[in-house]
Amino acid sequence: MPAFSKASAEYIRTALQEAVVKCSERCLYQSAKWAAELSVSLPVLPSASTSFNTDIDSQMQDVDQPAPSVVLSSNKDAEEARLEAQELSRYLLAKSYFDCREYDRCAAVFIPSALPRGPLSPNSPNTKKGTPTKAAKGKGKEAAINAGIEAVPPSNILPPMSQKALFLALYAKYMSGEKRKDEDSEMVLGPADGGSTVNKEIVGIIRCLEGWFADREAKNLGGSNQGWLEYLYGIVLAKGKTEEDAKKWLLRSVHLFSYNWGAWLELSELLNSEEELRKFVPALPQNIMTLIFHLYSSQELYQCSDSVHQALTDLENIFPNSQFLKTQRALLFYHSKDFDEAETIFSALLHADPHRIDALDHYSNILYVMSARPKLAFLAQVATATDKFRPETCCVVGNYYSLKSEHEKAVQYFRRALTLDRNFLSAWTLMGHEYVEMKNTHAAIESYRRAVDVNRKDYRAWYGLGQAYEVLEMHLYALFYFQRAASLRPYDPKMWHAMGSCYDKIDRPIQSIKAFKRALVAGTYYDQASSFGSGTTTGEPNAVLDPETLYQIALMYEKLNQPEEAASYMEMTLAQEEGPRDDDDDDDDGGGRGTGVTNTTSKARMWLAKWEFARGELGRAMELANELCQDGVEVEEAKALIRDLRARLESRRSPS
Amino acid sequence: MSRYLTPSKIGLLALIALYTESVVPSAATIPILSFLVSHVLPINSSSPRNEAALRPRDSTLAIDDFQKATIGYVSGIPGRTIWDLLLNKLWKLNSFDALHVFFDSLSSLLQKTPEEQQKEAEEGVDQVLNAHRMLISRISPLGVFVRRAQLEFTRLQFHDGVTLWKGFVAYRTPTLAQWKKRNKTAGNTSFDVNLQEDHLGLGDRLTEVIYGELGMEGQQGLNVSTEDVEKLLEYQVDHMQRMGNRLPQVMKTKLRNMVESGVTVPSLSHYVSFLDSWKAGDYPSSFDKLHRYFDYTMHNRDRTFYQYALLNLAILHADFGCYSEAITAMQETISTARENNDMGCLNYSLSWLYHFGKAHPEEIHEVQKKGMLGTDREALAFLKAKAKETSMWTLLSTSLLSEAKLALSNGDGAAQALESILKASHLNVVKNVSNAVGSQMSMQSSVFSRLGVSCQAWLYEELFLQCYASPCPVEDFVHCICKSAFILYQRGRYKQALARMEEVNEETLQTLRYSQYWTASLGLLKFRRHLHRDNLTAAENVLAQLRAPLNLTQDLQFNISILEMDLLIQRRDYSKAMEILEDLATTLDEQEADIYQRVKLMTLKALIYDKAGIPQKGFSVALRAASLAHRSRLLPALWEAVGRVCAVLLSLSEFLPAAKLLESIMPQVLECEDCYLSAQTFALLADAHVGMAGQAKAETLQRKEQLTKALEHIERSFDEYSRIEDVRGQCEMMAKKATIMHLNGDPVLANDCAAKYLDIKKAAKDQG
Repeated sequence: MPAFSKASAEYIRTALQEAVVKCSERCLYQSAKWAAELSVSLPVLPSASTSFNTDIDSQMQDVDQPAPSVVLSSNKDAEEARLEAQELSRYLLAKSYFDCREYDRCAAVFIPSALPRGPLSPNSPNTKKGTPTKAAKGKGKEAAINAGIEAVPPSNILPPMSQKALFLALYAKYMSGEKRKDEDSEMVLGPADGGSTVNKEIVGIIRCLEGWFADREAKNLGGSNQGWLEYLYGIVLAKGKTEEDAKKWLLRSVHLFSYNWGAWLELSELLNSEEELRKFVPALPQNIMTLIFHLYSSQELYQCSDSVHQALTDLENIFPNSQFLKTQRALLFYHSKDFDEAETIFSALLHADPHRIDALDHYSNILYVMSARPKLAFLAQVATATDKFRPETCCVVGNYYSLKSEHEKAVQYFRRALTLDRNFLSAWTLMGHEYVEMKNTHAAIESYRRAVDVNRKDYRAWYGLGQAYEVLEMHLYALFYFQRAASLRPYDPKMWHAMGSCYDKIDRPIQSIKAFKRALVAGTYYDQASSFGSGTTTGEPNAVLDPETLYQIALMYEKLNQPEEAASYMEMTLAQEEGPRDDDDDDDDGGGRGTGVTNTTSKARMWLAKWEFARGELGRAMELANELCQDGVEVEEAKALIRDLRARLESRRSPS
Repeated sequence: MSRYLTPSKIGLLALIALYTESVVPSAATIPILSFLVSHVLPINSSSPRNEAALRPRDSTLAIDDFQKATIGYVSGIPGRTIWDLLLNKLWKLNSFDALHVFFDSLSSLLQKTPEEQQKEAEEGVDQVLNAHRMLISRISPLGVFVRRAQLEFTRLQFHDGVTLWKGFVAYRTPTLAQWKKRNKTAGNTSFDVNLQEDHLGLGDRLTEVIYGELGMEGQQGLNVSTEDVEKLLEYQVDHMQRMGNRLPQVMKTKLRNMVESGVTVPSLSHYVSFLDSWKAGDYPSSFDKLHRYFDYTMHNRDRTFYQYALLNLAILHADFGCYSEAITAMQETISTARENNDMGCLNYSLSWLYHFGKAHPEEIHEVQKKGMLGTDREALAFLKAKAKETSMWTLLSTSLLSEAKLALSNGDGAAQALESILKASHLNVVKNVSNAVGSQMSMQSSVFSRLGVSCQAWLYEELFLQCYASPCPVEDFVHCICKSAFILYQRGRYKQALARMEEVNEETLQTLRYSQYWTASLGLLKFRRHLHRDNLTAAENVLAQLRAPLNLTQDLQFNISILEMDLLIQRRDYSKAMEILEDLATTLDEQEADIYQRVKLMTLKALIYDKAGIPQKGFSVALRAASLAHRSRLLPALWEAVGRVCAVLLSLSEFLPAAKLLESIMPQVLECEDCYLSAQTFALLADAHVGMAGQAKAETLQRKEQLTKALEHIERSFDEYSRIEDVRGQCEMMAKKATIMHLNGDPVLANDCAAKYLDIKKAAKDQG
């Protein structure tokens, strides 16, 4: 949609601004921040802004003039508005408690009586599963719920209050539960931190909400729901691992109120694969947020195809200055291993807003992969200057130390990140990497496991788990994790390669060969993908195959007693030395050239030489052995081979 | 504030790295090395404690100092000075990462440990050493410094590292112009390669985030580390304890700035502020601060410091006059020190207790009964033995001096005292106990002044002031000044005496005790002057002021009482004077006071009897005083007592023996250089001669002769009196002279004398 009209831009701006106010009223700070950022990134109306520099101010005025009381949103629903007006002072009290992080006190403003607490009982999800459908049917659901939850009054036990107040109170309860959960977990990776601690408020919230929704349905007020409570319900259901229901409720929430980014985020976390996403899309409301969500989810699922890029470009036309979208672009490049491009985008983002710490951990990962130490140090410096107690900052610093091979320090910083936020995914994964480096396999496994628990889409954690088990020589276990990783990143040769060697270890050469071949295919795919949309690399697909993989395949064939096949793969390995098109004998293995002489190719050469020797092709064997001597790799063995060859040649000559 | 590392230390490390690269020619090796060593070694080990060595060792080292130290030497690379190379090295640290790399590379400067060498040998790594590079031994001063720096850098948290880096960038900035000369591409942002690569200016927002503070001045706090501050504070404490003075105001603000700039406040700073407020005489706050210091120190020292806390507490109590509490605290100290086998503390507390007992005998009775120290002599012997045992030379020296003092005050004769002093002096010289020299010299001077050799006493005071004033405690200095001012007064040189008093600088007088002592001494001088000038009202005012402070030393209080009696005598209020005297005498008896004070009192008693017109009543007391003074060789006191005896003799009309006696002591009286004493003796002599003239027949040659002699002595006495500006004495002499003239039948001359008498009276009145 190239011609995006001003009117619709204005419409989106107003909607976003309204969302900001609504989110902050409900203390959903991150969502509010996201919406506000997005609304600012909309193009500036030429009529509204007199000078370019004061665009922010003028926008503020725009908001102010039509709606002077921007502090509290108005409510179109008369009943809700009446309730809100009634409880205004109490609401303000509760909100200020929330802002002071006194969650229990905040909740008690509206819900004085204690909600039932305790871990989720196994039967409660089942009852919930039935609830929405039965609620839709109307009467008679009370008995059903009664049967499901023993002794708990099914109906709405809450005093009458507005949805806003109810949301705030329950959300405060939820937050207090989260806080207590973190406190109970004590030290990161300590004895109490097994992921077994749960949010004890969840049960109460679920029952409360169940009752409330049922009540609404009973009174036929379902249409006037605002979406926030559905969002909260979705969250708590997701926490209780009833994901299908969670999805349903979140979907309902985004239908009712689309501009709550938190709901979209939760949704995206519940989607585990690209197909799931594709199936899910039709159910979504048709608006701009869906587009953003689709993009974000695709990114999270490592989809970096042309269409995703195209969608992103379209969105950027609407929000030309959105840092969020730029970050998404950079991450897409990162997933397709186009680090230079990603780095450029992140660098520009950093320059534009030096105080922005969001997603800097990804930037540091990119710099890590690029081994740009000075730059990484600089980034760490920037982040530290802004806030040294943000999980992102700690991750950046940890990455820096990791790059310097100071693993203890790196772990220290990752731990700090996790102390700040236990759900900070990349810190878990990175800490796992560090523990692997420090040969503390058990800690590594636990870290990776926690990472996976937080987000099942993190292929690095899966892969890391596999590696850790490989170190422990538990290949069958490892295989499982590699499979998971490969399913997340089907086009990453590393995963397939790992899988191949795993199969090898457990004596399944045929599968191993298959995996290795997949790796080869994936390798070429990625090389093609990396050249997408960037002017840096030549458009030429790089057809160099990974010699290591080829060599492994050859060895597998040897195991299968198919020496001919093996030899042909060995030859292919050798061929990679020169690359597909060698016009000049350049030793440097630059972009499209061959790999040059490596350890692997030498090994392949040695194998071939011996094979030729065994076959009696003494001339070829001699040639290869001499090459080996020239390359200076495994000279001793090569010389021994040459001696043998000479002896054979002599003996062959002498009788004749 | 970092724990150890500072930008200047990075500079030192760079210089060390440069040194190992063999670009330093042999001519420059020694200066560069000595520059390095003088900044690398800790303060204490640079043993000569003269001020000159300490001053350039300012806690921080400016980049200019590097320049000064290195710019004068050409390097092994043609056309470059060592400074150029150092600049190059410093500016190559162009990012925070480069700083990390720099610190990582430091280990290549050092020799390998045996384990590393073995490992390398096993792995077959060839020792492809750069032939140009020398390696620093791991345990050499430089090696230790490098290793420490590296360790400290590893220990730094990331943001602390960033702080160090920013401090370094700021530290280096002044040399940008010079660096630009050598390196044309250098720009304003070349301190960080990341900025340069991205073409960011100094005003850019990103730059602002990281290096925002660089623009602002006044970041000097970054350049000191906790370690530096601790060293500085240690020096400060050492100085304050040794010299006993307070922090100068300037230093105080500087220190405060330094301490405030860092987050971690070294607990020693509490101690410094405790000492300061103690010296300022602020009892409640010093008490508070002492407790704060110990509260903060308790947790991070495994050794128990309880006895030191008590020791400090006891001294503090004593200083503010809470004697009984001081004693209990000190007893506790002693028992804890015994428990913990802390000989140093034990000996110190015992010695302190001994001195305390000397100063406040009434308080120590309880302790003495319990037999903690035994008698004075035993206590000293014990202390000496202990000091020798633990080779605490300062303690030994002070014990010897105390012995001398004890001998003097018991009147055991000068020889024994001199022997002890000599022993102490020997010890001071041999063991270099320079800070005990002060008390030794003042002791020597007081021995001589007791022996009546005023010039010798004066000489020692001068010697001390000239040569030993700086390394000795300020207390000695103040005492010495006051004493020598007193000698000057005795010689009748008021102006010089006052000028000498003014030599004490203001910083010293910030300490309450010294200022009290000094003010009291000055007050005594003024009091005496007023007394002599017959300016009794002024004298009374001064006396009131002198009485004001409560805890003056016994010495001063005695002098004040004596002068008070003088005042009363001049007022002819003899009964009151006698009352005070009796009171004083009883207290002195109780305290086993200094023999000099007792003799002085006896003489004064005789004088009062004399003035009251019943001189014979004072005969026995004067005689006893004389014999006591004679026995303990208190010569000035002896002469005074003899004078009193003669006065009695005169009243008994025994003129000839009196004259003979007086004439025999006259030379030694003159040696004392005490104008008042000589004036009085001359007056007595004149009286004796007049008496003898009276005994001779009228109009005989003998009478004439005696009268002439009397006139002569009156003249001498008058001279002495006028030197000390004693109006009464002058008038008396003039009156006597006039009478004699009258007797001689020379009314004109008599009239002249009478006129002069009136003139003097008038002048005194005008002056008053």
